[in-house]
Amino acid sequence: MANYLAQFQSIKSSCDHLVISVEDVSDLWHIVKSGFEERLPFKRACLNNKTRNLVYVESLPAEFILTTDIRLRSRFPQELSLFWFREPYATVVLVTCEDLDEFKTILKPRLKLIVQNDEREYFIVFVSKAQPNNDQATKLAKKIYAKLEVDFNSKKRERCCKLDIHGPDANFWEDLDSKIMESIRNTLDRRVQFYEDEIRKLSEQRFMPVWNFCNFFILKESLAFMFEMTHLHEDSLREYDELELCYLETVNATGMKRRDFGGLERGDDQAALVKPDYKPLSQIVQDDSFREFEFRQYLFACQSKLLLKLDRPVEVASRGYSFIISFSKALALHENTLPFCMREVWVITACLALINVTTSHYNDGVLAPDVEKEFYRLQGDLYSLSRVKLMRLAYLIGYGMDIERSPVNSAALSMLPWPKPAVWPSFPPDASNEVLAKEKKILQANTRPKHFGIHRKPLPLEPSLLLREANRRRASLSAGNMFELSPSFAEGLSLDALRTPPPNKIPASSMSRTNSSPGNFEGSLDRPMRISEIHVAAEHALQHTISDPDLWKCLSSVQNFEQKYLDLTKGAADNYHHSWWKRHGVVLDGEIAAVYHKHGNFDLAAKSYEKVCALYSGEGWQDLLAEVLPNLAECQKILNDEAGYLSSCVKLLSLDKGLFLTKERQSFQSEVVRLAHSEMKHPVPLDVSSLITFSGNPGPPLELCDGDPGTLSVTVWSGFPDDITLESLSLTLAATYSADEGVKAITRSTATILNPGKNNIFLALPPQKPGSYVLGVLTGQIGNLRFRSHSFSKGGPADTDDFMSYEKPTRPILKVFKPRPLVDLNAAISSALLMNEPQWIGIIVRPIYYSLKGAVLHIDTGPGLKIVDTHVIEIESYTKVLQTSTQNTVDDRNSVSAATKEFTQLTLNDGKIQLPDWANETTSVLWFPVLASDKRLARGTSSVAPQKQSIVDGMRTIALKLEFGISHNQTFERTVAVHFTDPFHVSTRVADKCKDGALLLQVTLHSQVKATLTILDTWLDLQPGFVHTGHDDGRPSSSILPLIISPSSRAGILFGIRLGSATTGDEAEALEQGSILNIKYAISGNRTIGAHAPVDGESSASEGNELGLLFRSALVLQRPVLDPCLSVGFLPLPSGGLKVGQLISMRWRVERLKDLEEHAVSPDNDEVLYEVNANSENWMLAGRKKGHISLPIKQGSRIVISIICVPLVAGYVHPPQFKLPKVDEANISCNPAGPHLVCVLPPTLSSSFCIPS
Amino acid sequence: MVGREVSESCVDSMIIEMVSSYCDRFCSAKPELAARRIEAIGYQVGLQLSERYTMERPRFSDHLEAIKFICKDFWSELFKKQIDNLKTNHRGTFVLQDNRFRWLTRMSIDPSETNANTSDDPSVATTESKSAQSASMHLYFPCGIIRGALTNLGIPCAVSADMSNLPACSFVVRIKA
Amino acid sequence: MIVCIAVVGHQNNPLYLQSFTEADDALKLHHIVHCSLDVIDERVNNPKKTGPTLNETFLGLLYPTENYKVYGYLTNTKVKFILVTTDLDVRDADVRNFFRRFHSAYVDAVSNPFHVPGKKITSRTFAERVSTIVKSFGLSTAV
Repeated sequence: MANYLAQFQSIKSSCDHLVISVEDVSDLWHIVKSGFEERLPFKRACLNNKTRNLVYVESLPAEFILTTDIRLRSRFPQELSLFWFREPYATVVLVTCEDLDEFKTILKPRLKLIVQNDEREYFIVFVSKAQPNNDQATKLAKKIYAKLEVDFNSKKRERCCKLDIHGPDANFWEDLDSKIMESIRNTLDRRVQFYEDEIRKLSEQRFMPVWNFCNFFILKESLAFMFEMTHLHEDSLREYDELELCYLETVNATGMKRRDFGGLERGDDQAALVKPDYKPLSQIVQDDSFREFEFRQYLFACQSKLLLKLDRPVEVASRGYSFIISFSKALALHENTLPFCMREVWVITACLALINVTTSHYNDGVLAPDVEKEFYRLQGDLYSLSRVKLMRLAYLIGYGMDIERSPVNSAALSMLPWPKPAVWPSFPPDASNEVLAKEKKILQANTRPKHFGIHRKPLPLEPSLLLREANRRRASLSAGNMFELSPSFAEGLSLDALRTPPPNKIPASSMSRTNSSPGNFEGSLDRPMRISEIHVAAEHALQHTISDPDLWKCLSSVQNFEQKYLDLTKGAADNYHHSWWKRHGVVLDGEIAAVYHKHGNFDLAAKSYEKVCALYSGEGWQDLLAEVLPNLAECQKILNDEAGYLSSCVKLLSLDKGLFLTKERQSFQSEVVRLAHSEMKHPVPLDVSSLITFSGNPGPPLELCDGDPGTLSVTVWSGFPDDITLESLSLTLAATYSADEGVKAITRSTATILNPGKNNIFLALPPQKPGSYVLGVLTGQIGNLRFRSHSFSKGGPADTDDFMSYEKPTRPILKVFKPRPLVDLNAAISSALLMNEPQWIGIIVRPIYYSLKGAVLHIDTGPGLKIVDTHVIEIESYTKVLQTSTQNTVDDRNSVSAATKEFTQLTLNDGKIQLPDWANETTSVLWFPVLASDKRLARGTSSVAPQKQSIVDGMRTIALKLEFGISHNQTFERTVAVHFTDPFHVSTRVADKCKDGALLLQVTLHSQVKATLTILDTWLDLQPGFVHTGHDDGRPSSSILPLIISPSSRAGILFGIRLGSATTGDEAEALEQGSILNIKYAISGNRTIGAHAPVDGESSASEGNELGLLFRSALVLQRPVLDPCLSVGFLPLPSGGLKVGQLISMRWRVERLKDLEEHAVSPDNDEVLYEVNANSENWMLAGRKKGHISLPIKQGSRIVISIICVPLVAGYVHPPQFKLPKVDEANISCNPAGPHLVCVLPPTLSSSFCIPS
Repeated sequence: MVGREVSESCVDSMIIEMVSSYCDRFCSAKPELAARRIEAIGYQVGLQLSERYTMERPRFSDHLEAIKFICKDFWSELFKKQIDNLKTNHRGTFVLQDNRFRWLTRMSIDPSETNANTSDDPSVATTESKSAQSASMHLYFPCGIIRGALTNLGIPCAVSADMSNLPACSFVVRIKA
Repeated sequence: MIVCIAVVGHQNNPLYLQSFTEADDALKLHHIVHCSLDVIDERVNNPKKTGPTLNETFLGLLYPTENYKVYGYLTNTKVKFILVTTDLDVRDADVRNFFRRFHSAYVDAVSNPFHVPGKKITSRTFAERVSTIVKSFGLSTAV
């Protein structure tokens, strides 16, 4: 049956649509033809598919053919059945008739004849030519048609329809369509049934020897083709799949049986997997089956054609890719029979063909996004597959030098085995000049050294040494002497190592070989080929293999190869970019970049390289990054993109140390430094976070008081391989609590040299605001280049939990405390000091947890006080002062001298004192002598009118200012008040008046100081008008001296004086120059307590005490001490006693005791002013409280003044006082004296006083 | 993991010892630092345990599955019992309650003033709830474990514990969206 | 023979990569492993057409190239194991078994308290265990 193949194929190619035969009984076709044919192709044809389900075909092409047509000649029965699919699917019988008898007699039998002869699907179209207006004709036509229906319609099938040519008959055409469709459907069903039966019969005898695949194929294919004709592509495709399955089974089943694979003909290298009719089937048939090579491609071609008709290019691509893979395996199995590298070439062409056909049929956007991604991925796979194969071919013919030895290519090629031809092609004898050319090329080709002098062992592009492989596969050399050869070619795997194969060794080895196996001595053949020869041989062989001139052109020269290579790579990359497989795309971009790079198109190269580097560094694939980044850097350098170049260098430096040699890393650094010091056009801040990291020192943060500067020590880790000099370095501090505080930068302007690894750096810290600070960013300058780093180093073992809880605990590195008192200054003494005497004043200097190192105290005394700067100033520790004060030594100098080191003598220079170092931490007290001067003479007071003396005039102030802290930034000011006073306060009173007129004057001395005063001597210089009674020139009886007055106690001294003979005239000046009390005294006090012996006294010898100090105080004595000239008498009160609210009159008698002197005469001297004072709460006075009374001036004249008073309160109250304000008290004698108190009785109860209850 | 088991009492006392030494010795001054350290240790432990205990199972498709894993298998690997009650608001917050939390059974606190939620800063704990605070210190470790496990399963979250009535204890997991 | 076994972290960063080729061409294996992440992403991101069962740790064959095969394994903690082998007829059972054993080795390695999570695995014992597992690959499918 195989001989039908040719015919079969011609039939298939000829008819691609189904046929409807027209039985034109009464010659009507020419009339209705046009009408019929414009129904074609049938819209929404409804057919049964193989599983008898209704399917709607949008447009079904068909053709009306008259039965008289030559194409419908009856055929031999067998081919009739075989090629049944091309037979008419329906028969239309065209009849007309105007005459009933004619119908009965002629037409009907004829129709019967036509209809009955076979089981064709027919139906009758009755065409009536009757004019619509001619109604009897139409009536007749109707009648005839009715008869026709009666005769030919069966109950289950309508076989008639009526067409009125002149009468508009719309529904005829639908009728026609449905009828045709019905017929086609039935026919189709029947034929499918037939084919399936046939196929079943055949496949039952599948494993019998009679089994013939061709028959099976023809039946299957016919069925498939019929489905295809009727646009039932799904079914057709299923048939082809089954066919393929069956074929593969047969192939594998009969695998052991030696069968011809095919693919040996010219042009077979070009894949025909999308060209179904590439070869006539008759040519690929072999005895009872087909040659695998062509037939599998044929099947796939048919499938893909159907898939494309079904508009499923994605499926084509996916099926195609796996087909290519599996088929290339098959090719590998038969490689030894196939021409050299047939497999590679076929794969390339197949991929390209598939790409073309799918992309041309693929229209974007109609598919679901993930399907689209799938499609693009497949395209990418196809591209990269062909790319790999192309590279393999190029390598074989010696373009290996021009293939980038990148990880991608290495991964693709070095695991791809060499082609395994039965015999490796040996180079043609006349190709010696080509060999030389190759040799030259190999010698010229020198691997481009990478930038930075990086040298790496290039990655392999070959699964094994091509030289060895090729020679092993040569007919003339046996495996045995391969072993002898191997040492001579053992060095290195790469081509470069083999550029110059040692020529002398080769004859030697061949000699040894000749010894091993005598035989063929043909010069060129038996000697192992040199690599260049291998290339030439491969080139020639390929030239024979490759029939496609375009493909060959791609390999004819390096340039063309690179062009093709670039196209394929780009194709792959672009498609991958559209798919899920971004990484594939980016990596291939890198390959494109490599080519650009080689050809000096650095701009594009850099762009692509950047993408690759971004990918690798983003995911931390440093090994791969280390391969690409140098290239990027080189491009950037050449493009003199300084910024990019810098950052690349920094990236390179920050990669794992293991990835580069030290000298390479050093060259990176030198590049960085060189650029940094060069004049960059656009200097950019450099981010060295990965390279220079920093952290505070472990341990507690640096703690500072407010306003203090300090030095911050920071650990900086340098990732540079060499020392690097930072022209400047600054570090920002961020306040943790107050965000508004912002960041401060502390700078270190001096150049810093970082050693590789850990460095400790100290930064001077200006005073900061209170708060706690963390490290911010490290910035600085390398050369003219600003850099910044904001990565903390996990440097020391400080925070080992960093990696555990991934948020880094920002450890405060600096704490600045809120302002607080750092020192305190106080007066050491509380009690008063001696006025007008040089006295020690002590200032307690108390540091509060703060060192007073280098503190300076400014002392500024207020008015009325000055420092006795002739004398040294002493400082001693306060604790000792306390204990000295506890042991109350009279003289503290012993204790001072006892103080060994904690006592220093200082000198004051222009009001400043430098405190000694030992006083830095401890509380100390500073003693300096002062003299408070008060020119005024102290005045005594009389007991009669004791005048209060104010503290203020004894008060002096000292302004103190302490400068301390590092760089004296801290100051403390305090004004200390010191109280000075006289040793005594003197008050006097006349103790008694003797008959002889002598007066006893009592002088009371109040000690004002907290020190023991010893009165050595005292005398009273009396003012004129007074004289001492005794002759002891106004000294008290010396028996009492020396008189010791203990602190703040008093002592009294009596002086006897009497009125001297003095004129009254000098009384006036006698008053202002009063008498002076002189007291010679000594003081023994402790300066820590208060007043004490004057400073000089201490400094001078001790007998200074004897001569003692002198204190003078003025007293005022007045004469006459007593001479009453008026007497006031209080007249007794009524006996009844006083009652509250009861009027009484109080009466006083005023009487002149003596005449007034003349000189005292005044116009109103007979008038006396009186005044009555009473506590208004106790008394109510009626009458004139105050007034003049006339009193005659002669002695004895008297008058009584009475005042009505009402006592207001009960009890003992002071009575109203009667006074004579004009008269000195001394001249009034109260006789009888008024009562001190009077008793007032409560009022007698009376209704008016009753409180209503 | 046969042959790698440690006596539970050893583990218990080890944990107690760790907590006390962090609170009292290493960073007695700053309890929040101590808390963070303890939590960090728990985090790593959880990270590694989750690696081990998810070995033989298919990947979790959603958060709830992972949480359930924590409640069931993970917990029973740790404590030989499952979480007793799991509540969620379906918006990323889960409450895992263990009615008898093993590491608190050894502890006795006057339940009146124990409302030391570990989420609020324990440094401000008043003196009378010192005991509560110390107990809450013991809860940082399991919190860290849960956080570590979930984070390792790709669910970043914050975990806090609440021990209103001992020895019951509930862990609140807030998934960071 | 197994050419390479790699551990890739959940941020697609390499944690461990060991090549078993005699030539020092590890870089190409780096490339293969890195690119195979594409496939894993695809499988995980649109799981419709993933392998046998959804969310299974074993991802099956990632790369059907003609001359080597890449198998993938994705743990619950988003850590990927990637196996590159050059022998083209491998039984899935063998690979599954291999990955199971490798996984337990990995877990032990990262459970080392001195191992920093998310950093490269540098334990020597781990390397030794891996090499033994690799050697015994395919010899016995004993679970």
